[in-house]
Amino acid sequence: MSSVLELRGVGKTFGGVPALKDIHLAVGASELVALIGPSGSGKSTLLRCCNRLAEPDAGDVVFEGNPVPAGGAELASVRRRMGMVFQAFNLYPHLNALENAALAPRRAAGLSQSEAETAAREALERVGLGDRTTAMPDELSGGQQQRVAIARALALRPRILLLDEPTSALDPELVGSVLRVIRSLKEDGVAMLIATHEIAFAREAADRIAFLADGEILESGPPAEVLDRPKSERLQSFLSRL
Amino acid sequence: MRIFFDPEVLAAAWPGVRSGIGVTLGLALTSIAAGVALGLVLATIRALIRGAPLRPVGGLIAAYADVFRAMPPLVLLVVLYFAAPFAGIELSGFMAAFVALGLVLGASAEEIFWAGITSVNRGQWEAALSTGLSRGEAFRRVVLPQAVRLTIPPLTNRAIATGKNTALASVVAVPEVLNQAASVQAQTASPAPLLLAAGVYVALFLPLVRIGRWLETRFHIR
Repeated sequence: MSSVLELRGVGKTFGGVPALKDIHLAVGASELVALIGPSGSGKSTLLRCCNRLAEPDAGDVVFEGNPVPAGGAELASVRRRMGMVFQAFNLYPHLNALENAALAPRRAAGLSQSEAETAAREALERVGLGDRTTAMPDELSGGQQQRVAIARALALRPRILLLDEPTSALDPELVGSVLRVIRSLKEDGVAMLIATHEIAFAREAADRIAFLADGEILESGPPAEVLDRPKSERLQSFLSRL
Repeated sequence: MRIFFDPEVLAAAWPGVRSGIGVTLGLALTSIAAGVALGLVLATIRALIRGAPLRPVGGLIAAYADVFRAMPPLVLLVVLYFAAPFAGIELSGFMAAFVALGLVLGASAEEIFWAGITSVNRGQWEAALSTGLSRGEAFRRVVLPQAVRLTIPPLTNRAIATGKNTALASVVAVPEVLNQAASVQAQTASPAPLLLAAGVYVALFLPLVRIGRWLETRFHIR
């Protein structure tokens, strides 16, 4: 099976300090791959290298068989098909839920206003917020805001979603609503690469887990293998501290 | 009291002052519009060229803003009107005042817009770019609307200051309110025309101050 997204030897340094070292990772169609690891291990940087919000210094990011272009309209077109969800939601505070989700379909994908709104409405229904289309972000709970952010990415019908700790900024009682949405997307066959601290969720929902420490993937494989039979000391101590 | 509000002098001064109101408003509105537009254009250029090879342009814009914020508008005005002709640049009094006030407001407005733009969270740029919006679209649809809200209160203050500074144009013989009042004052040796002018300025700019206050509450970020 060909990969939707593949990282081949990706490296990145910040001011001489290596943040990612020789990352090899592939996400297949309708696969969910979870990135786990301590804070500062490079999970966010890895995700941001995928759509070049962070510029990798080494290696290749390959999307649907082609290297991700360096810039311009070609990069924008890849970004549309590679949805991103942020830890801090980053909703547009001056736009309501529907406008948040309709902006890129209208202005990046070039749909008509009514087509864009239809795509946005469908995406909001998919995350269970079909009845909150006119709500402003600050009128929504954290969980609802994150679901709007997921809808914003889904409205572009992406081939893969990159989720950067989507539940880390949420109150504990709101985490479940977001994870339920992510699970339902998996059932619909949306490929996902998700950085998360929700180990229980990763165990049950992920096809594969990659453990990242100090910018390196130390272990990867099916959840049972990685979580129940950790080989490295780093992973053993990481899991024991949860 | 009689000296300050001499009805005969006031009646003699009124036609000139009334015609001056049009000149004052015309100069105020055109220089405010030009200054705000200039500031917005420059701040937009500065925001969109970040990281591009045109980066020195950003430094030039910042230098312009610094120099013209340090320049007293009256000094710039007399330079434009009395010194520029020696360089072959002949400006009417109105044009000299328009250019001086516009350049000074443009510098302040650029800094105000720029401060608003940079105070918008980086995550907003990233979210917009991650959905495939171009930098220009991300700026226009996501960043600028949020920046403008932060910009309204300081920008309103600068615009009002520019409006009031139109009185400086009286020194280069622009027949605006103060200039008209002063010439009647010179003819009659009565202070009444100046008080009339003061009242007219308050009447003209008090509504602007009120509108500014309303805009501040209207655009208050929740």
